[in-house]
Amino acid sequence: MEKLRVVLITVIVAVSASSSLRAHHSFAAEFDANQPVTLKGTIVKMDWVNPHTWIHLDVKNPDGTVTRWMIEGGTPNTLVRRGFTKKSVEAGTEITIQGYRAKNGANRANGADMILPNGQHLFLGSSGTGAPKDAPDGQK
Amino acid sequence: MRIRVVSLAAVVLALMAGMTGFAQSQAANAKSNATSASKVPRTPWGDPDLQGTWDYRTITPLERNRELGTRAFYTDEEKKALEDRAGKRMDTAPEKITPGLNHAQWWTDPGRFVSDGNRTSLVVDPPDGRIPALTAEGRARQGRAPNRNNAVNASWLDRGDQERCITYGLPSASLPTLYNNNIQIVQAPGTAVIVHEMIHEARVVPLDGRPRLNDGVRAWIGDTRGHWEGDTLVVETTNFNGKHSYRGSTTNLHLIERYTRVNDKRLELRLTVDDPTTWEKPWTVLLPMRPTEGELLEYACHEDNRSMFDILEVARDAEKAGAKGQAPSNPGPVDDRQER
Repeated sequence: MEKLRVVLITVIVAVSASSSLRAHHSFAAEFDANQPVTLKGTIVKMDWVNPHTWIHLDVKNPDGTVTRWMIEGGTPNTLVRRGFTKKSVEAGTEITIQGYRAKNGANRANGADMILPNGQHLFLGSSGTGAPKDAPDGQK
Repeated sequence: MRIRVVSLAAVVLALMAGMTGFAQSQAANAKSNATSASKVPRTPWGDPDLQGTWDYRTITPLERNRELGTRAFYTDEEKKALEDRAGKRMDTAPEKITPGLNHAQWWTDPGRFVSDGNRTSLVVDPPDGRIPALTAEGRARQGRAPNRNNAVNASWLDRGDQERCITYGLPSASLPTLYNNNIQIVQAPGTAVIVHEMIHEARVVPLDGRPRLNDGVRAWIGDTRGHWEGDTLVVETTNFNGKHSYRGSTTNLHLIERYTRVNDKRLELRLTVDDPTTWEKPWTVLLPMRPTEGELLEYACHEDNRSMFDILEVARDAEKAGAKGQAPSNPGPVDDRQER
Protein backbone atom coordinates (compact mmCIF):
# COMPACT_ATOMS: atom_id res chain seq x y z
CA MET A 1 0.00 0.00 0.00
CA GLU A 2 2.85 2.31 0.87
CA LYS A 3 4.48 1.48 -2.44
CA LEU A 4 1.27 2.38 -4.27
CA ARG A 5 1.12 5.69 -2.44
CA VAL A 6 4.69 6.52 -3.46
CA VAL A 7 3.95 5.66 -7.09
CA LEU A 8 0.83 7.84 -7.08
CA ILE A 9 2.67 10.78 -5.63
CA THR A 10 5.42 10.35 -8.19
CA VAL A 11 2.92 10.30 -11.03
CA ILE A 12 1.04 13.33 -9.76
CA VAL A 13 4.20 15.33 -9.27
CA ALA A 14 5.45 14.24 -12.67
CA VAL A 15 2.26 15.31 -14.40
CA SER A 16 2.21 18.60 -12.53
CA ALA A 17 5.73 19.38 -13.60
CA SER A 18 5.06 18.54 -17.21
CA SER A 19 1.79 20.41 -17.62
CA SER A 20 2.90 23.59 -19.22
CA LEU A 21 -0.09 25.34 -20.69
CA ARG A 22 -0.34 28.52 -22.59
CA ALA A 23 -2.46 31.44 -21.63
CA HIS A 24 -3.62 34.38 -23.63
CA HIS A 25 -1.45 37.08 -22.19
CA SER A 26 1.46 37.58 -19.88
CA PHE A 27 0.79 38.36 -16.24
CA ALA A 28 4.32 39.56 -15.61
CA ALA A 29 4.32 42.25 -18.29
CA GLU A 30 1.22 43.85 -16.85
CA PHE A 31 0.87 43.04 -13.16
CA ASP A 32 3.27 42.98 -10.24
CA ALA A 33 3.49 39.80 -8.18
CA ASN A 34 5.15 41.90 -5.46
CA GLN A 35 2.13 44.16 -5.13
CA PRO A 36 -0.65 41.98 -3.73
CA VAL A 37 -3.80 43.93 -2.98
CA THR A 38 -6.92 43.13 -0.99
CA LEU A 39 -9.84 45.31 -2.03
CA LYS A 40 -13.20 45.41 -0.31
CA GLY A 41 -15.73 47.31 -2.33
CA THR A 42 -19.04 47.52 -4.10
CA ILE A 43 -19.52 46.24 -7.62
CA VAL A 44 -20.39 49.05 -10.02
CA LYS A 45 -20.59 46.92 -13.15
CA MET A 46 -18.96 44.02 -14.89
CA ASP A 47 -17.83 44.08 -18.51
CA TRP A 48 -18.59 40.69 -20.05
CA VAL A 49 -16.12 41.26 -22.82
CA ASN A 50 -13.42 39.35 -24.69
CA PRO A 51 -10.70 38.39 -24.19
CA HIS A 52 -11.13 38.97 -20.44
CA THR A 53 -13.89 40.24 -18.21
CA TRP A 54 -13.41 43.32 -16.04
CA ILE A 55 -15.16 44.08 -12.76
CA HIS A 56 -15.48 47.74 -11.80
CA LEU A 57 -15.30 48.11 -8.05
CA ASP A 58 -15.81 51.18 -5.83
CA VAL A 59 -13.50 50.94 -2.83
CA LYS A 60 -14.04 53.28 0.12
CA ASN A 61 -10.82 54.76 1.47
CA PRO A 62 -10.17 55.43 5.19
CA ASP A 63 -10.71 59.16 4.59
CA GLY A 64 -14.16 58.52 3.17
CA THR A 65 -13.27 59.09 -0.45
CA VAL A 66 -13.98 56.40 -3.01
CA THR A 67 -11.55 54.95 -5.54
CA ARG A 68 -12.75 53.00 -8.53
CA TRP A 69 -10.74 49.91 -9.37
CA MET A 70 -10.83 47.62 -12.38
CA ILE A 71 -10.33 43.93 -11.71
CA GLU A 72 -9.41 41.59 -14.53
CA GLY A 73 -11.18 38.24 -14.66
CA GLY A 74 -11.44 35.15 -16.82
CA THR A 75 -12.86 34.92 -20.32
CA PRO A 76 -16.66 35.07 -20.66
CA ASN A 77 -16.69 31.54 -22.11
CA THR A 78 -14.82 30.10 -19.15
CA LEU A 79 -16.86 31.90 -16.53
CA VAL A 80 -20.12 30.72 -18.07
CA ARG A 81 -18.88 27.13 -18.15
CA ARG A 82 -17.83 27.40 -14.53
CA GLY A 83 -21.34 28.31 -13.53
CA PHE A 84 -20.78 32.02 -13.25
CA THR A 85 -23.62 34.19 -14.54
CA LYS A 86 -24.54 37.84 -14.79
CA LYS A 87 -26.48 37.39 -11.55
CA SER A 88 -23.30 36.34 -9.76
CA VAL A 89 -21.98 39.89 -9.79
CA GLU A 90 -24.91 42.22 -9.70
CA ALA A 91 -24.20 45.87 -9.16
CA GLY A 92 -24.28 46.81 -5.49
CA THR A 93 -22.88 43.52 -4.24
CA GLU A 94 -20.09 43.95 -1.73
CA ILE A 95 -17.13 41.69 -2.42
CA THR A 96 -13.53 41.25 -1.44
CA ILE A 97 -10.93 40.84 -4.13
CA GLN A 98 -7.46 39.48 -3.65
CA GLY A 99 -5.19 40.20 -6.53
CA TYR A 100 -2.11 41.87 -7.92
CA ARG A 101 -1.84 45.50 -8.85
CA ALA A 102 -0.79 46.83 -12.25
CA LYS A 103 2.95 47.43 -12.44
CA ASN A 104 2.53 51.12 -13.12
CA GLY A 105 0.49 51.63 -9.98
CA ALA A 106 -2.77 52.25 -11.81
CA ASN A 107 -5.95 51.22 -10.02
CA ARG A 108 -6.15 48.00 -11.92
CA ALA A 109 -5.55 44.52 -10.59
CA ASN A 110 -5.46 40.95 -11.72
CA GLY A 111 -8.19 39.19 -9.75
CA ALA A 112 -6.84 36.08 -8.06
CA ASP A 113 -9.79 35.37 -5.79
CA MET A 114 -13.20 36.81 -5.03
CA ILE A 115 -15.02 36.43 -1.74
CA LEU A 116 -18.63 37.25 -0.94
CA PRO A 117 -19.70 38.87 2.37
CA ASN A 118 -20.68 35.43 3.72
CA GLY A 119 -17.18 34.15 3.05
CA GLN A 120 -18.14 32.08 0.04
CA HIS A 121 -15.67 32.02 -2.80
CA LEU A 122 -17.09 32.60 -6.23
CA PHE A 123 -16.20 30.81 -9.43
CA LEU A 124 -16.23 27.37 -7.87
CA GLY A 125 -17.27 24.31 -9.79
CA SER A 126 -17.35 23.88 -13.53
CA SER A 127 -19.14 22.13 -16.31
CA GLY A 128 -18.33 18.54 -17.07
CA THR A 129 -18.13 17.40 -13.47
CA GLY A 130 -19.50 14.01 -14.40
CA ALA A 131 -22.77 14.56 -12.59
CA PRO A 132 -25.75 13.44 -14.70
CA LYS A 133 -27.15 16.95 -14.81
CA ASP A 134 -23.83 18.34 -15.77
CA ALA A 135 -22.10 16.25 -18.39
CA PRO A 136 -23.88 15.02 -21.48
CA ASP A 137 -22.40 11.58 -21.20
CA GLY A 138 -21.39 11.39 -17.56
CA GLN A 139 -17.86 10.97 -18.97
CA LYS A 140 -17.57 7.21 -18.67
CA MET B 1 -23.14 41.29 -23.01
CA ARG B 2 -21.20 41.96 -26.13
CA ILE B 3 -20.22 38.44 -26.94
CA ARG B 4 -22.28 36.84 -29.65
CA VAL B 5 -23.20 33.29 -30.34
CA VAL B 6 -21.24 31.97 -33.26
CA SER B 7 -23.57 31.50 -36.17
CA LEU B 8 -22.35 29.73 -39.24
CA ALA B 9 -25.71 29.34 -40.86
CA ALA B 10 -25.06 32.12 -43.36
CA VAL B 11 -21.70 30.66 -44.28
CA VAL B 12 -23.14 27.23 -44.79
CA LEU B 13 -26.05 28.49 -46.86
CA ALA B 14 -23.69 30.43 -49.07
CA LEU B 15 -21.51 27.39 -49.53
CA MET B 16 -24.47 25.20 -50.33
CA ALA B 17 -25.86 27.71 -52.84
CA GLY B 18 -22.63 27.59 -54.79
CA MET B 19 -22.40 23.85 -54.79
CA THR B 20 -25.65 22.63 -56.14
CA GLY B 21 -23.94 20.63 -58.84
CA PHE B 22 -21.54 19.11 -56.43
CA ALA B 23 -24.40 18.31 -54.11
CA GLN B 24 -26.14 16.40 -56.86
CA SER B 25 -23.08 14.27 -57.53
CA GLN B 26 -22.69 13.75 -53.82
CA ALA B 27 -26.30 12.66 -53.59
CA ALA B 28 -25.56 9.99 -56.16
CA ASN B 29 -22.67 8.82 -54.01
CA ALA B 30 -24.80 8.85 -50.93
CA LYS B 31 -26.64 5.73 -51.97
CA SER B 32 -23.45 3.74 -52.36
CA ASN B 33 -22.15 5.17 -49.11
CA ALA B 34 -25.34 4.12 -47.42
CA THR B 35 -24.86 0.53 -48.43
CA SER B 36 -21.50 0.45 -46.69
CA ALA B 37 -22.58 2.74 -43.91
CA SER B 38 -21.64 1.78 -40.42
CA LYS B 39 -23.54 3.11 -37.44
CA VAL B 40 -21.93 6.50 -37.97
CA PRO B 41 -24.69 9.06 -38.45
CA ARG B 42 -24.90 10.49 -41.97
CA THR B 43 -25.69 13.86 -43.42
CA PRO B 44 -28.63 14.04 -45.86
CA TRP B 45 -26.07 13.91 -48.70
CA GLY B 46 -24.42 10.78 -47.33
CA ASP B 47 -21.22 11.93 -45.67
CA PRO B 48 -20.42 10.84 -42.12
CA ASP B 49 -21.96 13.46 -39.85
CA LEU B 50 -19.30 14.95 -37.59
CA GLN B 51 -21.23 18.10 -36.88
CA GLY B 52 -21.50 19.55 -33.45
CA THR B 53 -19.43 21.27 -30.84
CA TRP B 54 -16.72 19.13 -29.29
CA ASP B 55 -14.90 19.45 -25.99
CA TYR B 56 -11.30 18.27 -25.78
CA ARG B 57 -10.42 19.30 -22.24
CA THR B 58 -8.16 16.78 -20.54
CA ILE B 59 -5.58 16.66 -17.78
CA THR B 60 -3.46 14.21 -19.75
CA PRO B 61 -0.39 16.19 -20.79
CA LEU B 62 0.64 16.56 -24.41
CA GLU B 63 3.97 14.87 -23.73
CA ARG B 64 4.53 12.01 -21.33
CA ASN B 65 6.70 12.84 -18.38
CA ARG B 66 10.10 11.25 -18.82
CA GLU B 67 9.83 9.59 -15.42
CA LEU B 68 7.05 7.41 -16.80
CA GLY B 69 9.35 6.07 -19.51
CA THR B 70 7.51 3.86 -21.96
CA ARG B 71 4.44 3.50 -19.78
CA ALA B 72 1.58 4.60 -22.07
CA PHE B 73 -1.25 4.15 -19.58
CA TYR B 74 -1.97 5.14 -16.00
CA THR B 75 -3.27 2.52 -13.64
CA ASP B 76 -6.86 3.01 -12.50
CA GLU B 77 -5.53 4.13 -9.12
CA GLU B 78 -3.29 6.75 -10.72
CA LYS B 79 -6.10 7.95 -12.92
CA LYS B 80 -8.38 8.33 -9.93
CA ALA B 81 -5.75 10.19 -7.94
CA LEU B 82 -5.08 12.58 -10.81
CA GLU B 83 -8.75 13.20 -11.48
CA ASP B 84 -9.50 13.70 -7.79
CA ARG B 85 -6.74 16.26 -7.64
CA ALA B 86 -7.97 18.03 -10.78
CA GLY B 87 -11.53 18.00 -9.47
CA LYS B 88 -10.45 19.45 -6.16
CA ARG B 89 -8.60 22.16 -8.01
CA MET B 90 -11.74 23.05 -9.93
CA ASP B 91 -14.22 22.77 -7.11
CA THR B 92 -12.52 24.34 -4.13
CA ALA B 93 -10.85 27.63 -3.42
CA PRO B 94 -7.08 27.49 -3.70
CA GLU B 95 -5.33 26.91 -0.40
CA LYS B 96 -2.99 29.72 -1.26
CA ILE B 97 -2.83 32.23 -4.04
CA THR B 98 0.21 31.79 -6.20
CA PRO B 99 1.56 35.16 -7.30
CA GLY B 100 2.62 35.58 -10.86
CA LEU B 101 0.38 33.02 -12.45
CA ASN B 102 -0.78 34.30 -15.79
CA HIS B 103 -4.28 33.23 -15.00
CA ALA B 104 -5.80 32.71 -11.60
CA GLN B 105 -7.30 29.35 -10.84
CA TRP B 106 -10.85 30.56 -11.27
CA TRP B 107 -10.13 31.87 -14.74
CA THR B 108 -9.31 28.50 -16.15
CA ASP B 109 -11.16 25.45 -17.35
CA PRO B 110 -8.58 22.85 -18.30
CA GLY B 111 -10.72 19.84 -17.53
CA ARG B 112 -10.76 17.19 -14.90
CA PHE B 113 -10.41 13.89 -16.75
CA VAL B 114 -7.53 11.76 -17.90
CA SER B 115 -7.77 11.06 -21.62
CA ASP B 116 -9.68 7.99 -22.75
CA GLY B 117 -7.96 4.70 -22.06
CA ASN B 118 -5.92 6.18 -19.17
CA ARG B 119 -3.32 7.55 -21.56
CA THR B 120 -0.25 9.16 -20.00
CA SER B 121 0.31 11.44 -22.99
CA LEU B 122 -1.63 12.80 -25.92
CA VAL B 123 1.37 12.08 -28.15
CA VAL B 124 0.94 8.46 -29.21
CA ASP B 125 3.70 8.39 -31.81
CA PRO B 126 6.64 8.18 -31.22
CA PRO B 127 5.96 5.47 -28.63
CA ASP B 128 7.81 7.36 -25.90
CA GLY B 129 4.98 9.90 -25.94
CA ARG B 130 7.39 12.76 -26.55
CA ILE B 131 7.73 15.24 -29.40
CA PRO B 132 10.82 14.14 -31.37
CA ALA B 133 14.12 15.96 -31.08
CA LEU B 134 14.81 19.04 -33.15
CA THR B 135 16.91 18.61 -36.24
CA ALA B 136 20.31 20.28 -36.34
CA GLU B 137 18.73 22.99 -38.46
CA GLY B 138 15.89 23.35 -35.98
CA ARG B 139 18.33 23.69 -33.08
CA ALA B 140 20.38 26.29 -34.92
CA ARG B 141 17.25 28.26 -35.73
CA GLN B 142 16.14 28.10 -32.12
CA GLY B 143 19.52 29.47 -31.07
CA ARG B 144 19.08 32.47 -33.35
CA ALA B 145 15.56 33.24 -32.16
CA PRO B 146 15.30 36.53 -30.25
CA ASN B 147 15.00 36.20 -26.50
CA ARG B 148 11.57 37.62 -25.90
CA ASN B 149 12.08 37.41 -22.15
CA ASN B 150 14.04 40.61 -22.55
CA ALA B 151 11.40 42.34 -24.63
CA VAL B 152 11.26 46.05 -23.98
CA ASN B 153 7.71 46.23 -25.31
CA ALA B 154 8.57 49.17 -27.52
CA SER B 155 5.43 48.38 -29.48
CA TRP B 156 2.74 45.80 -29.84
CA LEU B 157 5.05 44.08 -32.31
CA ASP B 158 7.13 42.90 -29.36
CA ARG B 159 4.23 40.86 -28.10
CA GLY B 160 3.12 37.42 -29.26
CA ASP B 161 0.53 36.68 -31.91
CA GLN B 162 -1.80 35.28 -29.26
CA GLU B 163 -1.63 38.37 -27.08
CA ARG B 164 -2.25 40.47 -30.16
CA CYS B 165 -5.29 38.34 -30.98
CA ILE B 166 -3.99 37.60 -34.46
CA THR B 167 -4.09 33.85 -34.14
CA TYR B 168 -3.64 31.08 -31.65
CA GLY B 169 -1.86 29.29 -34.46
CA LEU B 170 -1.80 25.69 -35.56
CA PRO B 171 -1.59 23.14 -34.20
CA SER B 172 -1.95 25.12 -30.92
CA ALA B 173 -5.61 25.86 -31.55
CA SER B 174 -6.28 22.11 -31.77
CA LEU B 175 -4.52 21.17 -28.55
CA PRO B 176 -5.76 21.42 -24.94
CA THR B 177 -4.81 24.54 -23.04
CA LEU B 178 -6.08 26.56 -20.08
CA TYR B 179 -9.53 27.34 -21.50
CA ASN B 180 -11.61 27.52 -24.68
CA ASN B 181 -10.94 23.87 -25.43
CA ASN B 182 -13.68 23.40 -28.01
CA ILE B 183 -14.13 23.13 -31.73
CA GLN B 184 -17.29 23.28 -33.77
CA ILE B 185 -17.68 21.34 -37.02
CA VAL B 186 -20.23 22.34 -39.64
CA GLN B 187 -20.65 20.46 -42.90
CA ALA B 188 -22.17 21.21 -46.28
CA PRO B 189 -21.93 19.16 -49.48
CA GLY B 190 -18.32 19.39 -50.56
CA THR B 191 -17.20 21.53 -47.64
CA ALA B 192 -16.54 21.28 -43.94
CA VAL B 193 -15.85 24.16 -41.57
CA ILE B 194 -13.82 23.75 -38.39
CA VAL B 195 -14.27 26.56 -35.89
CA HIS B 196 -11.64 26.81 -33.19
CA GLU B 197 -12.97 28.47 -30.07
CA MET B 198 -9.57 29.91 -29.19
CA ILE B 199 -9.37 33.23 -31.06
CA HIS B 200 -12.48 31.97 -32.92
CA GLU B 201 -10.85 31.01 -36.18
CA ALA B 202 -12.96 29.28 -38.81
CA ARG B 203 -11.14 27.03 -41.25
CA VAL B 204 -13.06 26.28 -44.43
CA VAL B 205 -12.08 22.83 -45.73
CA PRO B 206 -12.87 22.15 -49.40
CA LEU B 207 -13.66 18.46 -49.97
CA ASP B 208 -14.14 18.65 -53.74
CA GLY B 209 -10.64 17.68 -54.78
CA ARG B 210 -9.60 21.12 -55.93
CA PRO B 211 -5.83 21.63 -56.22
CA ARG B 212 -3.80 23.27 -53.50
CA LEU B 213 -2.83 26.88 -53.69
CA ASN B 214 0.61 27.36 -55.17
CA ASP B 215 3.58 27.75 -52.88
CA GLY B 216 3.54 31.51 -53.16
CA VAL B 217 0.19 31.89 -51.43
CA ARG B 218 0.64 31.54 -47.71
CA ALA B 219 -1.43 32.24 -44.62
CA TRP B 220 -1.19 32.36 -40.84
CA ILE B 221 -3.22 29.15 -40.55
CA GLY B 222 -2.16 27.77 -43.90
CA ASP B 223 -4.17 26.36 -46.79
CA THR B 224 -6.43 23.43 -46.06
CA ARG B 225 -7.85 20.65 -48.21
CA GLY B 226 -9.87 17.65 -47.10
CA HIS B 227 -11.16 14.30 -48.26
CA TRP B 228 -12.89 11.25 -46.87
CA GLU B 229 -11.11 7.98 -46.18
CA GLY B 230 -13.97 5.67 -45.27
CA ASP B 231 -15.77 7.39 -42.42
CA THR B 232 -12.76 9.51 -41.49
CA LEU B 233 -12.44 13.15 -42.51
CA VAL B 234 -8.82 13.76 -43.47
CA VAL B 235 -7.75 17.40 -43.40
CA GLU B 236 -4.34 18.42 -44.68
CA THR B 237 -2.88 21.86 -44.14
CA THR B 238 0.21 23.36 -45.74
CA ASN B 239 1.26 26.81 -47.02
CA PHE B 240 1.86 28.35 -43.61
CA ASN B 241 3.39 31.80 -43.76
CA GLY B 242 5.84 31.04 -40.94
CA LYS B 243 5.01 34.18 -38.98
CA HIS B 244 3.59 32.06 -36.19
CA SER B 245 5.81 29.25 -35.07
CA TYR B 246 4.83 26.21 -33.05
CA ARG B 247 7.89 25.06 -31.08
CA GLY B 248 10.14 26.22 -33.87
CA SER B 249 8.04 25.08 -36.85
CA THR B 250 8.55 26.82 -40.18
CA THR B 251 6.74 27.37 -43.46
CA ASN B 252 7.34 23.67 -44.08
CA LEU B 253 4.84 22.70 -41.41
CA HIS B 254 2.45 20.03 -42.69
CA LEU B 255 -0.54 18.99 -40.60
CA ILE B 256 -2.75 15.99 -41.16
CA GLU B 257 -5.90 15.86 -39.05
CA ARG B 258 -8.06 12.74 -39.08
CA TYR B 259 -11.50 13.15 -37.54
CA THR B 260 -13.49 9.99 -36.83
CA ARG B 261 -16.80 9.75 -35.04
CA VAL B 262 -16.20 6.63 -32.99
CA ASN B 263 -19.58 6.73 -31.25
CA ASP B 264 -22.35 9.15 -30.28
CA LYS B 265 -20.27 10.56 -27.47
CA ARG B 266 -16.84 10.68 -29.01
CA LEU B 267 -15.16 12.40 -31.91
CA GLU B 268 -11.57 11.29 -32.20
CA LEU B 269 -8.86 13.49 -33.67
CA ARG B 270 -5.62 11.92 -34.77
CA LEU B 271 -3.29 14.80 -35.59
CA THR B 272 0.05 14.28 -37.29
CA VAL B 273 2.55 17.13 -37.21
CA ASP B 274 5.41 17.14 -39.66
CA ASP B 275 8.12 19.65 -40.44
CA PRO B 276 11.27 17.87 -41.61
CA THR B 277 13.27 21.07 -41.18
CA THR B 278 12.29 21.24 -37.51
CA TRP B 279 11.78 17.74 -36.06
CA GLU B 280 13.68 14.57 -36.77
CA LYS B 281 10.46 12.74 -37.55
CA PRO B 282 6.70 13.37 -37.64
CA TRP B 283 4.68 13.00 -34.44
CA THR B 284 1.05 12.15 -33.81
CA VAL B 285 -1.44 13.16 -31.15
CA LEU B 286 -4.61 11.24 -30.28
CA LEU B 287 -7.29 13.51 -28.87
CA PRO B 288 -10.76 12.18 -28.04
CA MET B 289 -13.48 14.82 -27.82
CA ARG B 290 -16.85 14.80 -26.06
CA PRO B 291 -19.99 16.72 -27.03
CA THR B 292 -19.75 20.19 -25.55
CA GLU B 293 -22.26 21.20 -22.96
CA GLY B 294 -23.90 24.47 -23.94
CA GLU B 295 -23.12 26.87 -26.70
CA LEU B 296 -19.86 27.90 -28.26
CA LEU B 297 -19.58 31.61 -27.57
CA GLU B 298 -17.57 33.88 -29.77
CA TYR B 299 -14.13 34.53 -28.32
CA ALA B 300 -13.58 37.75 -30.27
CA CYS B 301 -10.22 38.29 -28.66
CA HIS B 302 -9.51 41.72 -30.08
CA GLU B 303 -12.82 43.08 -28.84
CA ASP B 304 -11.37 44.68 -25.74
CA ASN B 305 -7.77 43.60 -25.64
CA ARG B 306 -7.03 45.95 -22.77
CA SER B 307 -4.04 43.87 -21.77
CA MET B 308 -2.11 45.10 -24.78
CA PHE B 309 -2.86 48.69 -23.87
CA ASP B 310 -1.90 48.08 -20.27
CA ILE B 311 1.32 46.23 -21.10
CA LEU B 312 2.49 49.07 -23.33
CA GLU B 313 1.43 51.67 -20.78
CA VAL B 314 3.47 49.88 -18.10
CA ALA B 315 6.47 49.85 -20.43
CA ARG B 316 6.16 53.58 -21.22
CA ASP B 317 5.83 54.42 -17.53
CA ALA B 318 8.94 52.36 -16.83
CA GLU B 319 10.80 54.35 -19.50
CA LYS B 320 9.76 57.64 -17.93
CA ALA B 321 10.85 56.41 -14.51
CA GLY B 322 14.21 55.39 -16.01
CA ALA B 323 14.65 58.85 -17.55
CA LYS B 324 14.17 60.37 -14.11
CA GLY B 325 16.82 58.11 -12.64
CA GLN B 326 14.34 55.87 -10.91
CA ALA B 327 14.57 52.15 -11.16
CA PRO B 328 12.37 51.06 -14.04
CA SER B 329 10.04 48.23 -13.34
CA ASN B 330 10.93 45.01 -15.02
CA PRO B 331 8.67 44.58 -18.02
CA GLY B 332 8.71 40.88 -17.28
CA PRO B 333 8.97 37.82 -19.43
CA VAL B 334 6.94 37.38 -22.56
CA ASP B 335 6.73 33.66 -22.01
CA ASP B 336 3.04 32.94 -21.98
CA ARG B 337 3.24 29.61 -20.29
CA GLN B 338 2.33 28.71 -16.79
CA GLU B 339 2.47 25.56 -14.80
CA ARG B 340 -0.66 24.35 -13.19
